[in-house]
Amino acid sequence: MPVRSSTSTASLALPALALAACAATSPGSAEPGDLTEITVGAMPIVDTAALHLGISEGIFAEHGLDVAVVQAQGGAAIVPAVASGQHEFGFSNVISLLQARARGIELQIVSPASASSGDTSADLSAILTMPGSGINEPGDLAGRSVAVNTASNIGEVMVRTLVADGADPGEVDFIELPFPDMPAQLAAGRVDAVWITEPFLTLARDRGAEVVVFDYATVDPQMMIDAYVTTDTYADEHPEVVEAFSTAMTASLELATAQPEAARAAVAQYTDIAPEVLERLSMPSFPAEVNVASLELMAELAHAAGVLDDPGVATELLP
Amino acid sequence: MTWIALAQTLTTWALGLVIAVVAAVVLGVAIGASPVVRALTASTIAFLRPIPSVALVPLAVLLYGTGREATLILVVYAAFWPVLVQVIAGVQDVDPALRTTARALRLRRGAYLRTVLWPSALPSMMTGLRLAATVALVLTITGELLIGTPGLGAAIELARSSGRTGTVLALVVVTGVVGVAINYGAAVLERRALRWHPSHRNVT
Repeated sequence: MPVRSSTSTASLALPALALAACAATSPGSAEPGDLTEITVGAMPIVDTAALHLGISEGIFAEHGLDVAVVQAQGGAAIVPAVASGQHEFGFSNVISLLQARARGIELQIVSPASASSGDTSADLSAILTMPGSGINEPGDLAGRSVAVNTASNIGEVMVRTLVADGADPGEVDFIELPFPDMPAQLAAGRVDAVWITEPFLTLARDRGAEVVVFDYATVDPQMMIDAYVTTDTYADEHPEVVEAFSTAMTASLELATAQPEAARAAVAQYTDIAPEVLERLSMPSFPAEVNVASLELMAELAHAAGVLDDPGVATELLP
Repeated sequence: MTWIALAQTLTTWALGLVIAVVAAVVLGVAIGASPVVRALTASTIAFLRPIPSVALVPLAVLLYGTGREATLILVVYAAFWPVLVQVIAGVQDVDPALRTTARALRLRRGAYLRTVLWPSALPSMMTGLRLAATVALVLTITGELLIGTPGLGAAIELARSSGRTGTVLALVVVTGVVGVAINYGAAVLERRALRWHPSHRNVT
């Protein structure tokens, strides 16, 4: 006698469901319009405030661009995504970009993203320690442990550069820790010092951490920290889109400089930073021009720190 | 906003689970039906199965960037194996008496699949489905956390990178509740699908 089960017959319909479900996820057709759709791979940090300000103020729309920002969890995800064409443009710090270029990934800078505030008493990045640790200046870090968010990247370059002025950077014990974990680990004494950026800088100081030095402003008051890039191929094939993006970014950066409070408020749109922390944290500055001298300096420092073989790649990054 | 993230997570979870189950059932029946194929694929399955899906994150990002497809690779890979193994076992366990009877009645393949193979393998398949449902949720959240696909995992990471520990914990609790609901739903589905099976009948 054949076994009949309505449920078992119904469960054979799963393949049909699968097909229907797959159709539901295929991207909707783009509506015809005047705007070119582009995606920018970025990170939910204060450095990208000008981009979001420009989008919300309609600056990108004015230049014919419909920008979708895709937030990545770390810079390491953005460069491959841009290189493979997933995103037209991407955001990364200059050390990551120099290292990518050195690995043969053909990226070029289309716009700066943010720069140091230039204020050696208040900047978006600092080396922090707990009171009583005996670390009063970068040279004291020799023989101690310092946490950075990514090894062999901008944090390590900054620490090594500052320590080298009087002590041996080779004696610093670097530990990799994600920024969100740094305030607690520092307060618990599991690491002697941290290289940290906003908003965690403010959060750590709220827990009693003290500033040893504001690294970006001390190393180069006009340091260009990060930039937006595209691939050489995309720039060759779509020069008008790159030109539009670059022009729109310039206008956005100028707006962020003219209205710093608007830039600060823009950060609330794409991060979940508590408003009372957002009020107090130090914002970067937003110069509109690519700082070539700063880029070349960063390349030299990265080379000296042992994280970049050939400082000459700096010129290859420039358009 | 949490509701949107929840809907995104559930969609990714459901899609990944359905794809994995369909693929695993089709392949499982094909492999389980033939002792030769079973023997040939045994070592491959044993090799691929223990690979943790998270190890595929870089590959997934390289292929699909940060969209849903990248997380689906993780979800499908993880959910596929429990179902495959269970289906193969279920197909192997078809009562030889039933098989002989089917041959005597000259059942065609379609009828055989529908009336003998499917009901015989269904209990094992349901076990596999229950395991896969849980694993699929874990990998959905993981993929969203590590890759950035929109959903609860991405919301957790955003709260974390903004220093909002309270929000992180709240979202973790939501994830736990979803897991409980899925487990409960899978158990209910299993009971209903196997109503007729001796193991689920009340014996007085």
